[in-house]
Amino acid sequence: MKAKALKSLCLVLVFSVACPALALAQDAESLVKAAFDYMRGKASVSTATMTIHRPDWQRSMTIRAWTLGQSDSIFYIVEPPKDSGNGTLKKGGEMWMYNPKVNRVINLPPSMMSQGWMGSDFSNNDLAKTDSLIKDYVHTLEGSETIDGKKVFHIKSMPKPRAPVVWGMQKLKIREDHIFLQEDYYDEDLQLVKSLTLLDIKPLGGRLYPAKWRMQKAGVKDEYTVVGYEKLEFKDSLPADLFTLSSLRNPRF
Amino acid sequence: MSIDLRMAWRNLWRNPRRTLLTMSAIAFACVLLVFMLSWQFGSYETMINTAVKVQTGHLHVEAADYQDRQDMRLVIKDPQAVTKMVQAAPGVEAYTVRANSFALVSSQERTYGILVVGIDPAREAKVSTLKSIVRQGSFLEPGDHEGALVGRLLAQNLQVKLGDELTVLGQGRDGSIAALVLKVRGIYSSGMDDFDRSSIQMGLQAFQDAFTMEGAAHQVVAICQSLEEVAGAKAYMAAHLPPQKDPGLTVLDWKQLMPGLLQGIEMDLVSGIIFYIILLVVVTFSILNTFLMSILERTHEFGVLMAMGAKPGRLGRLVVMESLAMNLLGVGAGMIMGALITWYFQVQGIDLGAQELMAQYGIVGRIYPRLSWLSLLSGPAVVFVMTLLAALYPTRRLWKLRPVEAMNYA
Repeated sequence: MKAKALKSLCLVLVFSVACPALALAQDAESLVKAAFDYMRGKASVSTATMTIHRPDWQRSMTIRAWTLGQSDSIFYIVEPPKDSGNGTLKKGGEMWMYNPKVNRVINLPPSMMSQGWMGSDFSNNDLAKTDSLIKDYVHTLEGSETIDGKKVFHIKSMPKPRAPVVWGMQKLKIREDHIFLQEDYYDEDLQLVKSLTLLDIKPLGGRLYPAKWRMQKAGVKDEYTVVGYEKLEFKDSLPADLFTLSSLRNPRF
Repeated sequence: MSIDLRMAWRNLWRNPRRTLLTMSAIAFACVLLVFMLSWQFGSYETMINTAVKVQTGHLHVEAADYQDRQDMRLVIKDPQAVTKMVQAAPGVEAYTVRANSFALVSSQERTYGILVVGIDPAREAKVSTLKSIVRQGSFLEPGDHEGALVGRLLAQNLQVKLGDELTVLGQGRDGSIAALVLKVRGIYSSGMDDFDRSSIQMGLQAFQDAFTMEGAAHQVVAICQSLEEVAGAKAYMAAHLPPQKDPGLTVLDWKQLMPGLLQGIEMDLVSGIIFYIILLVVVTFSILNTFLMSILERTHEFGVLMAMGAKPGRLGRLVVMESLAMNLLGVGAGMIMGALITWYFQVQGIDLGAQELMAQYGIVGRIYPRLSWLSLLSGPAVVFVMTLLAALYPTRRLWKLRPVEAMNYA
């Protein structure tokens, strides 16, 4: 009788130690999922300006983008006029680029996925593998802090075994109202490669949203890319035939 | 001829078989060294010339850092000023202008990220072998704005043939999107796999238009009359670079452009030298043994000579003269034979057969050993010194000999 009591006491002890960890992992998982859904919405239409900054050089372009669900998107360059009409379609893990001047569509080979999109600090993978964070990583809560009266969770995301991932580790900062504040990308040696910082949180498209996304490579001071949202509209849905190759060839903006 | 010299000569032929064997050991070492060194120098020259001729050239003028960063924006703003200067440099045989950019190149079926090179067809033909290695179709004509040359392996990978279209999508110098459609005019095969799968060539003018180069280029490539002229031409160019700021210009020679090639050569030379040292040690010990034997078995004879009043110094001189004569004959014969054999192969060339393997090292076709004063003299000179030292060691025994004991020496 005594032994049984002891046993159940042990069981209780084990649970009380193990459960919070389990709960925390689930918390982190659902937190990331909720934040991802919050940021992306069911569907969206937006206009943004991308500025690529280099020590001796800077260039801006205006992009119009449509997204649907977790992984489909299509975007076109609107400005400058010289590049107007160049489009990129992203569907699942694949990407295609369209150039109106030669009227051709090119499928991006896997070897090019880690290259910068249009010379920016956002790689093709950053754009194509958006939902990879949800599908391929395990998230754990590492801590939290309070900034301006709001709780900010620090989350460490490690790839699932054998998942086809780009990053060896990601570290996230997510505010309690599901807004991403920062995303750090590490390589397989757990060295910081680049950081995405989300700034200028304000009402946008009917919800609080970071209007400025700043991607900076680690170790270089004066090289970064900033995406600033000018217009953002969340929708319940967009026609699926918008995200097709034939649609890519016929810019509609 | 002095009596000592005559005695030495006769002593040498008292045991002709041993003398001939020793001499042939020396000669063999010399033949081997002359041939191997000539072979090594010859193959290095072939490697360098092949690598230089396929693409790199002897010298590049380009923006500082371009070699390391391959950044599209690191350009030569005024290629004309540079070519004018390069043309005036001593020893320069030909030059050409190139512009490069990494871009997506796509056929109907496949897309690859590769290097797109803008070339000046007329000048390129004088600098590199590109024109002569076009196996299908033709080289680019000057003024051809739509044509492209594709390597054999890349053509295979892209699944294109002559006349097929390639779509090129990249980024211009100003960051804008560069897009163009090219037709495959020619397919080339250099034998160097890396080169045949990693780039396409197109007209420089068309490249400059598509990639918004505004007349700028990335490299001025020069080829010299011979490898020896490179240093002089480089110095001249470095001193006469046209002023350009952000980025500044620099001159690079083939060693800086292909550090891997130089390292390969150095590694091969080091392993060669290790082999030569082993060879020399073996030969030296065998000769040391011969001399030691010849002195030991003549102990009685030396005792008699000493009893008749010969001083150890005179006997020593005698023995050294013997070894010197043997040495000179051996080395001389070795050098003559080595030179003849090397010369034969220098004319005929050597076909190694392992084409695939050699192609990776940039050697296409035959290897020709190259006889030079260095390869002819350095090996035999070392053999001569080593054998002489080997002969001197046993003569020390002469000073320890006592005439009576020596005469009783069995």
